[in-house]
Amino acid sequence: MRAQVGENQKRARFQALCQSLRPDLLRFAIWLSRDRSIAEDVVQETLLRAWKAQDSLEDEKAAKPWFLTIVRREYARTFERKRLPTVDLDDLIASEEPALGAADEQNLTELRLAIFKLPDEYREPLVLQVLMGCSTAEIAAQLNLSTPAVLTRLFRARRQLRVLCGEDTTLDPEE
Amino acid sequence: MIDCNQARRALLAEPESADPEIRAHREKCPECAEYFERLGRFETRLASAIRLGVHAASTSEPVPAGPVDNVVPLQSAPVRSAAARTVHRPRWLALAASVLVAAGVAAVLWLAVPRASLAGDVVAHMAGEPQAWLSDSAVPAARLSAAIADAHMRLLPDAGVVSYAASCEFRGHHVPHLVVQDTSGPVTVMVLVHESARSAVNFDEQGYRGVILPVPGHGAIAVLTRNKSLGTAAVDRIAARVVGAIDWTA
Repeated sequence: MRAQVGENQKRARFQALCQSLRPDLLRFAIWLSRDRSIAEDVVQETLLRAWKAQDSLEDEKAAKPWFLTIVRREYARTFERKRLPTVDLDDLIASEEPALGAADEQNLTELRLAIFKLPDEYREPLVLQVLMGCSTAEIAAQLNLSTPAVLTRLFRARRQLRVLCGEDTTLDPEE
Repeated sequence: MIDCNQARRALLAEPESADPEIRAHREKCPECAEYFERLGRFETRLASAIRLGVHAASTSEPVPAGPVDNVVPLQSAPVRSAAARTVHRPRWLALAASVLVAAGVAAVLWLAVPRASLAGDVVAHMAGEPQAWLSDSAVPAARLSAAIADAHMRLLPDAGVVSYAASCEFRGHHVPHLVVQDTSGPVTVMVLVHESARSAVNFDEQGYRGVILPVPGHGAIAVLTRNKSLGTAAVDRIAARVVGAIDWTA
């Protein structure tokens, strides 16, 4: 009986953990896939896999990188399974132009489009840093890169982004 | 000694860097100080843009089916029909996911989610104002007074150096958002007189550690730090010191 209560409490804690992390995981998946529908599928599969493997998460403090790893793997699997077509971003943007123009936060919309335009290898570490609050070391571990490589990508990501957004880059550092 | 190019390059990679060498360079180089200010404003926009709006999960459906409120839809058909989804994924899998993820939520949701959402909102607000961490020198007294006026409080000298003070919109109210310099590093304080907390709630989200403390008669106070080496007890100690340095005037 006591064991059952303990198991229920553990599941409830894991459930609460999933609930608290889910919004950011969905945002991360959207930035990764550039497609909300795919992102929803990826996060749902991620939560399912996480639920099945919850015993392997020994420390809740390690939950964020643990979930991020599952999201990234699940996204890769989705690509393998579905053979998603590659889509030209400019065409997509052009097709959605009325919706983008109607947005209240035009500045943010432009910035979001600029982020989507970044190459994957720059966009992903940037989102991990800014959205997920990952340190450079955590990003390096997640992407299997060296710390200097992550710093270079973050630097290039922001530099490109600032150019794309028409920011004053006269004081920006050189490569 | 680092030069301007190195300092700016480091900041573009890690805008929230607390590297003392970069801070020192900024102090003595007006051009870099201006650049850091500009970058801070850009980071504020970037943090807001990256934090796409997503609906909170309901108890019965772990993945919302409706459109995301402020997500830029990049697919021409952003919401696929349920029938279309089943082509790609067995129905039992979706059902199992829904059942599994929803199981037990009802029992804990009303307790867990409200507390988590207040902490989450505080952290989200913090993430949207990274420039708040940049300075370590005291703000002018007038700015501090203006920032805390709505909360009917004043800050005693025991609080330490206040390096950032703003009256920020948070959940429909203007609340004081302060950064206080502690020996462990900068600490953010948000005075949430319109919120309520039944008990102290510690949290660790997105690189921020903190606690939300109930303040009888004055709502709640959120205290956050980016110092990951601080344990819960240390965060609680800092929070208690900050709360003790507040003199409520109403």
